[in-house]
Amino acid sequence: MNRKSMWSLQFSTVALVLIPAAIGINFLGKLFAELLKLPLWIDSIGTVLSAMLAGPIIGAIVGIINNVIYGFTTSPISFVYAITQAVIGLVVGIMAYKGWISSVKKAIILGLVVGFIAATVSTPLNIMFWEGMTGNVWGDALFAYLRANDNALWVASFADSIVVDVPDKVVTVLLSFLLFRSLPKNVKNMYDNHGEIEKL
Amino acid sequence: MKTMTLYREKDSPIHRIDPLTKLLFAIVAVSTSYIVSNHVFVLCVLTVTFLILIAGKVIKYILPVIALSFLLIASIIIVQGFFHPDRATVLFEIGSIPIYKEGFSIALLVTLRVVTMISAFGVLILTTKPDDLVETLVEKGLSPRFAYVLLSVLQIIPQMVALTGKITDAQRARGLETEGGLFVRFKSFIPLLGPVVLNSLNETRERSIALEIRGFNSKSRRTYLHEREPYKFGLPLKIILVLFLVTVIVWRVVS
Repeated sequence: MNRKSMWSLQFSTVALVLIPAAIGINFLGKLFAELLKLPLWIDSIGTVLSAMLAGPIIGAIVGIINNVIYGFTTSPISFVYAITQAVIGLVVGIMAYKGWISSVKKAIILGLVVGFIAATVSTPLNIMFWEGMTGNVWGDALFAYLRANDNALWVASFADSIVVDVPDKVVTVLLSFLLFRSLPKNVKNMYDNHGEIEKL
Repeated sequence: MKTMTLYREKDSPIHRIDPLTKLLFAIVAVSTSYIVSNHVFVLCVLTVTFLILIAGKVIKYILPVIALSFLLIASIIIVQGFFHPDRATVLFEIGSIPIYKEGFSIALLVTLRVVTMISAFGVLILTTKPDDLVETLVEKGLSPRFAYVLLSVLQIIPQMVALTGKITDAQRARGLETEGGLFVRFKSFIPLLGPVVLNSLNETRERSIALEIRGFNSKSRRTYLHEREPYKFGLPLKIILVLFLVTVIVWRVVS
C-alpha cells in the first residue's frame, strides 16, 4: 500500500474536485444561516469538512480559493481574510489527522482552538486594514467600549475578533463534525491520504 | 441560471485591457493607498480609480458592492470618531455628542482606503470575464488542473443552490421545523445541509471519473480554444504601474 503523508502535494483528481464542492458547501452554510436567521456566519463548514476529509493542504487551498471567489462574486473585502480561512483549513486538517475528531467533546475543543487561532490571525489584518474593527455590531460595540476606556488597540481588536470568531467556529466545527460522522465510509475513504484504498 | 460573477459585458477601452494589467493596477492602487497615510493622496488614487470605472461604463455597478461594506464603514466612523483615545479637539457636535477631530481624521482615511480597495478590485472584477483571467493565468504557468477548479466553482454553486431549494421543501414536507426558537432553528441545520453535502460529495466521485476519462491528468501541452490577440499597451501600462509603486515606496522611505 502506498502510504502518503498528510503534507502530500500530489492531489488525486477526486481531491481536486472536492475543492469546488467544499466552496459550495461554505456558500450553502452561509445561505442556510441567513435563511434560518441564525446569529452567526457559519461560512466555513466546507473548509472544515474538506480539511477533515482530505487533510490540511486541501483545507488551506479551499480556504484561499473560497475567499478569492467570494471577492469576485460578492465583495473584494473578503480577499483580506483568505489567510484566515487558509489557517482554519490547516489547523483543522492537522488536528483531525492527530485524532481530534473522534468524539463530540474533542470536536468542541477543536472548535475553541480554531476560533482562538482564527481570531489571532484576523487581528493583525483588522488592525492593518481598518484600524481594528470587524464590521460585526457586537464585536465593534465591545471594541468601542474598550477603546473608550483607553485600552491598547490590539487588545480591543483581539477582543472584538474573539467574541465573534470563537462561538462561530465552535458551532461550525461541531456542525462539520456531525456531518462528517454521518457520512458513509466509502465517501470518507475516497479522499483518504493515509493509505490508498480506492484509486480513481 | 443566474450568473455568479459581477462581470458586466460592455464595449469599452477598459474591457479590452488584458486581465493581468488590471490585476496589477488593483494591487498597486491598494498597496499605495496603504503605504501613504495622506488623505489627499488616497483621494487622488480613488479619483483615478473612479475615472477608470467611468471609462469602463461600470461606475453604477460598483455602488451596491460598496454598500455591502456599509456596516464596516459606518462602524469605523462611529467608533473612531467617538472613542479614539487621542480625543482632544472637538470637531463638531451632533446634539450634545462631540465628534473628535483626531478620531474622525483616522476614520476618514480608513474609509477612503476601504472604498479604494473595493473600487480598485472593482475595475478588475466588473470589466474582466473570469474565464479570460483564468486563461491568462494558465498562459503564464498556472496548472490547468487548478484552472478547472477555479472555474468550476462558478458553475457548481448555482447548481447546489438550486438543489437546496428542493431539499428544504422536501424536509418541510416531512415535518421539519425551520421556524421557531433559536434551538429549533439550529437543530434543523443538519437535516437541511446533510443531504446536500452527501449528494455533492458523491458527485465528486462521478465528476472525477468523467474528468479522468477526458484526459484531465494528461501531461501533454494544452492548446487553447480561443486564440486571443495580445493587448498592445499591456507592457507599457505594466511598466508605468510598477514605476509608480516603486516611486511611492521610495518616497515613503525617504520622507
